[in-house]
Amino acid sequence: MAQSKVPAPTQVLCVEDDPILMLAMIEFVENAGCEAVEATSVAEAIGILETRTDIRTVFTDLDMRGSTAGMRLAVAIRDRWPPIELVMISSQPWDASQIPARGVVLGKPFDRRKIEATIRRFAV
Amino acid sequence: MSSTIPPLVTDPARLSALDGYAILDTPAEPGFDDIVQLACRLCATPVALVSLVAGERQWFKARVGFPHCETDLNSSVCAHALAQPDDVLIIPDLTLDPRTAENPLVTGEPFIRFYAGAPLRTAAGMVLGSLCVIDSVPRPDGLSEIQASDLQALARQVMSQLELRRAVMDRDAQRAVEARAFHSRDALRDTQAALTATTGDLDTLLQAIVSGAMRAMPAAEGGVIELLDGTELEYRAAQGSLAARLGLRVPLFASAACHCVMSGAPYLMTDAGSDPFVKRDLVATLQLGSAVLAPIRRGTSVLGVLKLQSPRSCAFDARDLALLDLFAGAATAALAEAAAQAEIRAQDTYWRGLFDRLNEAFQLNEVIRDDAGEITDFRILEINPAWARQIGIPANQVVGATASHLFGDVAPEWITDFGQVVETGEAWRFTRQFAPNGNWYEGTAFKLDGDRFGVIFLDVTARISSEARRTALLSLGDQLRDLTTIADMTHAGAEIVGRTLGATRAGYGRVEGDVEAVIIEPDWTAPGQASVAGRHRYDDFGNIRASLLQGEALVVNDVTCDPRTVADAARWLGFDIAALVHMPVRERGRTVAVFIVHDVKPRVWTTEELAFLRNVADRVEVGVARVRAEELQTVLNYELAHRLKNTLAIVQSIASSTLRGVTEREPVEAFERRVLALSRAHDVLMQKSWTAARMRAVMESVLTMQADLDRFAIDGPDLDISPQAALSLSLLLHELATNALKYGALSAGAGKVRIAWRTEEGSAPTLVLDWNELGGPAVAAPSGRGGFGSKLIRMGLMGTRVANLSYDPIGLRAEFRAPLAEIQVQVH
Repeated sequence: MAQSKVPAPTQVLCVEDDPILMLAMIEFVENAGCEAVEATSVAEAIGILETRTDIRTVFTDLDMRGSTAGMRLAVAIRDRWPPIELVMISSQPWDASQIPARGVVLGKPFDRRKIEATIRRFAV
Repeated sequence: MSSTIPPLVTDPARLSALDGYAILDTPAEPGFDDIVQLACRLCATPVALVSLVAGERQWFKARVGFPHCETDLNSSVCAHALAQPDDVLIIPDLTLDPRTAENPLVTGEPFIRFYAGAPLRTAAGMVLGSLCVIDSVPRPDGLSEIQASDLQALARQVMSQLELRRAVMDRDAQRAVEARAFHSRDALRDTQAALTATTGDLDTLLQAIVSGAMRAMPAAEGGVIELLDGTELEYRAAQGSLAARLGLRVPLFASAACHCVMSGAPYLMTDAGSDPFVKRDLVATLQLGSAVLAPIRRGTSVLGVLKLQSPRSCAFDARDLALLDLFAGAATAALAEAAAQAEIRAQDTYWRGLFDRLNEAFQLNEVIRDDAGEITDFRILEINPAWARQIGIPANQVVGATASHLFGDVAPEWITDFGQVVETGEAWRFTRQFAPNGNWYEGTAFKLDGDRFGVIFLDVTARISSEARRTALLSLGDQLRDLTTIADMTHAGAEIVGRTLGATRAGYGRVEGDVEAVIIEPDWTAPGQASVAGRHRYDDFGNIRASLLQGEALVVNDVTCDPRTVADAARWLGFDIAALVHMPVRERGRTVAVFIVHDVKPRVWTTEELAFLRNVADRVEVGVARVRAEELQTVLNYELAHRLKNTLAIVQSIASSTLRGVTEREPVEAFERRVLALSRAHDVLMQKSWTAARMRAVMESVLTMQADLDRFAIDGPDLDISPQAALSLSLLLHELATNALKYGALSAGAGKVRIAWRTEEGSAPTLVLDWNELGGPAVAAPSGRGGFGSKLIRMGLMGTRVANLSYDPIGLRAEFRAPLAEIQVQVH
């Protein structure tokens, strides 16, 4: 768990429509030494990605309202912003073949160690 | 006076000899007349007589000059001539002779006075009478010696005449007997020939016998056979004077026929008037003078009586009686023959009737061989009515036809199998489908004489079909139980329906709206048939919605005839549909789906077939409902799992945020991980809808949170455990692994944990779980009461608190026990 010092923290876009879960996600991002950017909907997340170029990682919940919204976002990101890393959390079983390349899905409830380790890995 | 008559007169031997000539009371004959003429002239007397002396009279065969043809013996002089067989009796003056002085013919008219008689002596010396000459005046000189000698000579001439006459008479009588015997034999022979030739009924035979007997015995004027029937005699074949009595029934009582039946012997009734067996008052009515009766016997019993009768008495004699017995014998034969024939006819009729009424079809056949003697075909020689009914080919097309002609392509297999029966002589039982009509037949083929064989069989299509339907339903039940998707179930149902009913297409379709359209799922089709899967509008196919709207089956036997489909028949036929059934599947009173069966040929859908289809539809409906319920349950389970896990994430988040101010982060993380361990147990449980979990899966899922699974040696029988046990086991293993990671075996690179479990049988079966750490640093028992983790460990499995913890220097050794009944889930 070697931690390298970076001058500017990695920007991680957290996409979550549940405010309480958003709190936990921000904590994971910050514990991983990154800086969280918040989006409470897929549309907002797309808007941010279209306007900002410093987002290295998108950390999104797949269980948002509209059920498949999170997955559609993930697919859209891989399509439009291929370099961006994807960390996803889900309460449902997922089909590995549908997960965009390099994407990591982690289950709920949270396994803090794995989540923080993954975000940290992508931030390097 | 009578004392003067010599005793010789009544000598039986003499009278018998006289009878032998049968001369008394016969008409005059020239031979005798000539002799008395000569005697008169010879002796110059006015009277000459051939006088025959019987027992109580004398009778004159020839006479001259005497008015009477006979006299009593008191008036007889000749009687005295008997006493001197060798000499001529000469009485010169009858008034002077004591033997004749008182003779009425002497004392009164015609006052005879002179008598000379030469005895009529047979060769045996019997004197029958005399040739005598009589004068009305005494002749003191009697006869001259020459006259006397000549008179004796004439007397011998009389005897010669008598002998000659008797010889002729005997010859004629003999001839008459012979003629009569010949006639009788003729009649008997003709009768027997008639009986043999007659194939008619019994009465015809009896008629021949009666008429034959009457011809043999011309004296008979009436004839009848009286057949015994119970206690009555019935007049059969009555002819002649008895013809009017045909059919008469008389009680077997007080009659000659009755006597004949009872005695079993022929009976000659010479004179009805004095017969002991005839009722006197009937004699006149019956015009009965005499009769002959002969019993008709069979073995020791008597069947009846053959009777001939005449209005005259003494019309029959013993010969007639014997002859009649022969005819009675012929009657016995005729009755036996008639009975035998009747029995044969009855049996023939019986068997023929049985044959005709038989439910089983029967055919009589003969194999056809080629030049090499191999059986190549067979010909049907005879069939019964059931055959034509069951096979459906009229008898006139079948009898005499060959199998290959009648049955075409399917003939060879039958020719082979029937041929085998003829060759081996072993009967063959078969249950086989007959391709030309598709029906099933069960029967037996058996060899008869030579190249002929019989086949008897029954149409068992209904039974076979019924068995096939039952088997199909069982098979469907099995398939439905194992299938998990609606599409698989409906397709399985369609295939079973199609195959079982021998249809060309079967499918399942969801009905849209108010039976407006049907969306047919991938259907089953017979080879060569196209699928009709897809959406079809009912109104495009005729006026066929009504029955389905009411929840009743749409059944069309022939689209070209059914008024609902005839207008759109071409459209139906375009889909290769000539007959169809849509069996509705109902849900809450609405038709929501249909089971569809098509046939390329018109067919009559039987009640049994429709019931079968209804049954399949119902079963599929139940199966579909079960799958739907399971699918819904699965959705609910996933939804619940999803919400639970999301909620646990929120709980983690709340805890983390709430404890943000706590600088010691370890308890927060410990809390988070316990929630995680709990959730892992839920994941495993969800795979079995929260009814059970596999023990090993629960363990692996929790342990993998802490370390790679290769750090653990997991060994024990995989059990289905209850949800409570899964949660308890998860939390226990989580705490043990956490501790091992912190202080125990897992904290060192080479350390390992061996987890083993077993069940112990006994009055209370127990699960025993061992946790043994190896290769870690030396451990010691934690001081104090410890935290929540230690408490969880001490509570053991299922809160039993049966936890033996041993802090060995080489590593923790722990044993946990819990009642198996609380851990295990009985698999149902």
